[in-house]
Amino acid sequence: MWLPLLGLILGITLGLLTDIQIPSEYENYLSIAVLAALDTLFGGIRAQLQHIYDDKVFVSGFFFNITLAAGLAFLGVHLGVDLYLAAIFAFGVRLFQNIAVIRRILLTRWTERKGTID
Amino acid sequence: MKHGIYVRFTFILLIVGFMIAVQYNTVQKPESRDTRDIWEIRQELSAERQLHSDLLSKIRAVNETITTYENLQSDSPAQALNETLLTLRKKAGLTIVTSPGLELTIEPSLEAIALGKNITSISPDLLARLLNEINRFNGNDVSIDRKRIINSSPIRDINGLTTVNSLNIQTPPFKIRIGTDTKEDAELLYSHLQSSMIADDFYIDNLNLIIGNPQGQISIPAYDQPIKNNYLKNASKGD
Repeated sequence: MWLPLLGLILGITLGLLTDIQIPSEYENYLSIAVLAALDTLFGGIRAQLQHIYDDKVFVSGFFFNITLAAGLAFLGVHLGVDLYLAAIFAFGVRLFQNIAVIRRILLTRWTERKGTID
Repeated sequence: MKHGIYVRFTFILLIVGFMIAVQYNTVQKPESRDTRDIWEIRQELSAERQLHSDLLSKIRAVNETITTYENLQSDSPAQALNETLLTLRKKAGLTIVTSPGLELTIEPSLEAIALGKNITSISPDLLARLLNEINRFNGNDVSIDRKRIINSSPIRDINGLTTVNSLNIQTPPFKIRIGTDTKEDAELLYSHLQSSMIADDFYIDNLNLIIGNPQGQISIPAYDQPIKNNYLKNASKGD
């Protein structure tokens, strides 16, 4: 349970300690990649809770989504259309949906557990 | 099975955390912002242009030397070497220089004489400041009280006496001679010194700075002491 949290903390520490900065023109790509990563992550958690988790889907989805989002943003920059907004919108909506589903599942479990204790 | 999932989540979270930290670094600590306005940038540009043209003229001079070497190689390499040596000695301040320039006289101010104040030696700080002003406006060769200033000349206080090249300079009045490349440079330096605040600084110390008119020919003595070069060594052959 605590292992993933440890990974997150380790990642953040590593990032802060190495003090890496990316050029400001690539900032958009990274922010959209972060969003895609978060989306996949919450999708994975939801799938796990719904017992439909698949390793291949999760790992491939993670990298594919990041690449797709960054690629879309790149394409948008070169076409003069803000395509990254599409990615932000899609990922944002899915992120909220996933979190809502996770919340419901956890709430249901909590209520069930409470019911059995009572 | 369950363990495998955790490992994968950990790995993914590691990447996510890293990306977030990098994003945070980029957003929170932007590289120092450029706050120069257009005039500052223009000034810097003009300074760089000046440097560019200086470098070009230096390259030309060096190229000329190379051409001289090549021309004289068959005739007499010694002569070319001597010429270079002479140029270098001139540059280092080891020769008497006769060039356009001007003469400054530093003397006690009239008030100081009238009030009977003690005339002290000029302070090294003031002298260094004056020298900086002179250097800023192309004063190439300078002698203070007949002591030639070279790149390594020290100006300092030794036991309460101001010295240049470790030799005392007399209490005012004494003369400072400045050589420039052209008469125009001398005039420019003259007007700059006239308009600068340096005369006021002298006045605070009960001294008068009298700036002589630019002259067509002024003779500046050579540096006559041995040059200490503790940190220079002969290059071995082929270097």
